Amino acid sequence: MDISRYEDHGQFCSGHAACGGCVEALTMRVILNEIGPDAVGVVAPSCTAVILGGYPTSSARIPFIHGLIETAAAMGTGVKRGLAAQGKGDTTVVCFAGDGGTYDIGIQALSSAAERNEDILYVCFDNEGYMNTGGQKSSSTPHGAATGSTPLGKATVKKNLIEIMAAHRIPYIATASPSHLADLAAKVRKARAIRGMKVLIVVIPCLPGWGVADDSAVRVARLAVESGVFPLLEVEDGVTWRIASDKTRPIDAYLAGQKRYRHLSDGEREALQAEVDAGFARLKALEAINPG
Amino acid sequence: MNKQALSPLWTHLTSEGNRTGTWRAALPRYQDQPSPCLGACPVSGRIATWIGHVEDGDLRAAWEVLSDNNPFPAIAGRICHHPCETACNRAQLDETVSICALERHVGDAALAAGWGFAAGPERGVSVAVIGGGPAGLSAAYQLRRAGIAVTLYEAREALGGLMRYGIPSYRLAREVLEGEIARITAMGIDLRLGAGVEDAAALEALAEAHDAVFLATGASLPKRLPGLDYEAGFVVDSAAFLAAPESEQKAMTGAHVLVIGGGSAAMDVARTARRLGRRVTVMTLEPEGRLPAQQVELEEAAEEGVAFITGAMLKAAEGGETVTIAAVRVTFKPGETRGQFSVNEITDSAFTLACDTIIPAIGQDADLARWGTVLGTDGPVVGRRAGRIRAGGDVASMERFVTHAIGMGKEAAREIIAELAPDAPLSAPLPGPLVEYARINTAYHPGHPRARQPSAPLPKRLESFAEVQQPLPAEAARREAERCFSCGTCIHCDNCYLYCPDMAITRLFPGYEVKTDYCKGCGLCVAECPTGAIHMREDTP
Repeated sequence: MDISRYEDHGQFCSGHAACGGCVEALTMRVILNEIGPDAVGVVAPSCTAVILGGYPTSSARIPFIHGLIETAAAMGTGVKRGLAAQGKGDTTVVCFAGDGGTYDIGIQALSSAAERNEDILYVCFDNEGYMNTGGQKSSSTPHGAATGSTPLGKATVKKNLIEIMAAHRIPYIATASPSHLADLAAKVRKARAIRGMKVLIVVIPCLPGWGVADDSAVRVARLAVESGVFPLLEVEDGVTWRIASDKTRPIDAYLAGQKRYRHLSDGEREALQAEVDAGFARLKALEAINPG
Repeated sequence: MNKQALSPLWTHLTSEGNRTGTWRAALPRYQDQPSPCLGACPVSGRIATWIGHVEDGDLRAAWEVLSDNNPFPAIAGRICHHPCETACNRAQLDETVSICALERHVGDAALAAGWGFAAGPERGVSVAVIGGGPAGLSAAYQLRRAGIAVTLYEAREALGGLMRYGIPSYRLAREVLEGEIARITAMGIDLRLGAGVEDAAALEALAEAHDAVFLATGASLPKRLPGLDYEAGFVVDSAAFLAAPESEQKAMTGAHVLVIGGGSAAMDVARTARRLGRRVTVMTLEPEGRLPAQQVELEEAAEEGVAFITGAMLKAAEGGETVTIAAVRVTFKPGETRGQFSVNEITDSAFTLACDTIIPAIGQDADLARWGTVLGTDGPVVGRRAGRIRAGGDVASMERFVTHAIGMGKEAAREIIAELAPDAPLSAPLPGPLVEYARINTAYHPGHPRARQPSAPLPKRLESFAEVQQPLPAEAARREAERCFSCGTCIHCDNCYLYCPDMAITRLFPGYEVKTDYCKGCGLCVAECPTGAIHMREDTP
């Protein structure tokens, strides 16, 4: 039996404000424990900020600065440079943001930090929409998914942040999933040891936003990986692609587990399958260009 | 450096003061539940538990769990009809787990290591067990474990009953039989071999002399085929044939043996006759695919050159230079209960067949008349009981499976123990309904084909009575154990702990506890449990 293990050192505390069954809290648990105590965090307004905060309490054992939504990468830059100036250059600086604060509102700061190759670990909890404001679409919302502002399904495709970041030729980009916790922990460990800009994108099936049952977010994330909707991959220096997960099933079960896709016609589902197939084939082609 | 006062802008408390458990409507509960294999097992074996020990490489622990319900794992691992495998949830993913082969693996390891059973502290009560077959020995074993004295009466000169006198050694090696029986007699049993209990009066006398009696004399009366003269020289009783030594078996049979019947005993007769160098034809009422023998027995019989005529009924047999039988094709309809059926002759389908010997093997009945009115004669009844006398095994059931008899012996012994030695420890049955396939998270059980036991090569098989089924190699057995879903059994994998977003599971090594202060009742631990051993319950104050 393949159990996905990681170590918990108590770096993330019970009593946080995440919805029951929220796997954003679960991935924060894995990431914060892997990062350890010698770290400073910054967080953009997001579900993550809600889960971390509730002044005057914090669910994280490391200090976090709560800033504005467009500033996660800029805050991280400043904190890291400040620490370095104090001779604390080994302290990890981690930025937490949602997909709204990453794909949309924070992309200018993120792109600038990436271009300067700042030594920060940027984690995007990607629940594919503005979920803590009631579920509006973001540029991460996938094609066809219904949100509060795209009730008939989003007409355009999900922004390809992985390729945007790869174009910056930063040292490390990875995707991760709450269904593969050991893989997530290993990627955080690997990223911590790399100097320069690291971006980690974690898929977070949102219980109310995606219309998923309270006990099913891990299952839906696993289906996202297995159906090739959200492959587990790593990109080094923007050019070496490694696709670690296989596409082992059609997207039907993945779509069927979510209310945001239930309006789709058979034809629309087939079109989405074709998009997923093409996207996965493109990743395999990128992997083949420069076998690591 | 001066200590700086903490800025009021900084948080100074953790979130642990928030009791998020108050959000909850349901609470996870750890509760092992019976697996489908347990539900189907004639001895109610804790299969998921002992297979878990095999997976961990702890065969001693596996054997201890196994032998709690069955003192014959090496025997059952060879000849059990394994309804557990038919019930196995894994069949819905790929293929059923090779439970029977794993049981043999554990049983053989125990015999090789010489592990023994301990008798319980003496309780000063005694039970007479009548019949030293699987039911009687199983009961004697359970009673001795509880410290109850046992006097065992066996009509023959050796113990084992059907396992010795009915099952050929190519299915059950004699050293295995001797080894597992010796382990029970070593617990201290007053053995009376060659001492049958003849009639109701003798039975009642034993009931007076002991605190309880367990009657397990089996089914010794052959069923009779109409249309066949059992006094004719060419008709041989199947039970007598199987019980006879090889030299006598040769003398009993001619060159072409016709075996009547499609059950296990018929296959045993047919394959034994093949090993004597006889040509063998098996004729059954049942059509192909409906024969009651185990599939593996039918396959191996066919491999060994046994010819089958299915869906046919013997009408008459006439002796002479060779024997000529008259038969007719039939359609077969099974009845409501096991052993009942009706047949219809197909018109113009009569045929004849020449052979030298006919061995009907169509089953045996219990000799109930012998016990007069002590038990009643209105047919066998499971768990029949009259005062201090309980009956079990074939004398009290129509099931006709060795492991069923072992299970009945165990159940009768448990009843007797509860009555005569209420302080003796008895393992409690698992509560709750059988675990359904839907409760298994198959993401943790990657597809893997079932391990198959190797068979002895064909031409050699017919040269001796050596065992046909060969053991699983140790590594294959461990890998096969890994295939088990462990339905309803906590395997301490930590998944519930690892997947909790609220750090609300405490590991107790072994086991887990839910922190009710923080558990929000989401059920992720239940959904990600690979074995279905956690359950959500409505959380009422």
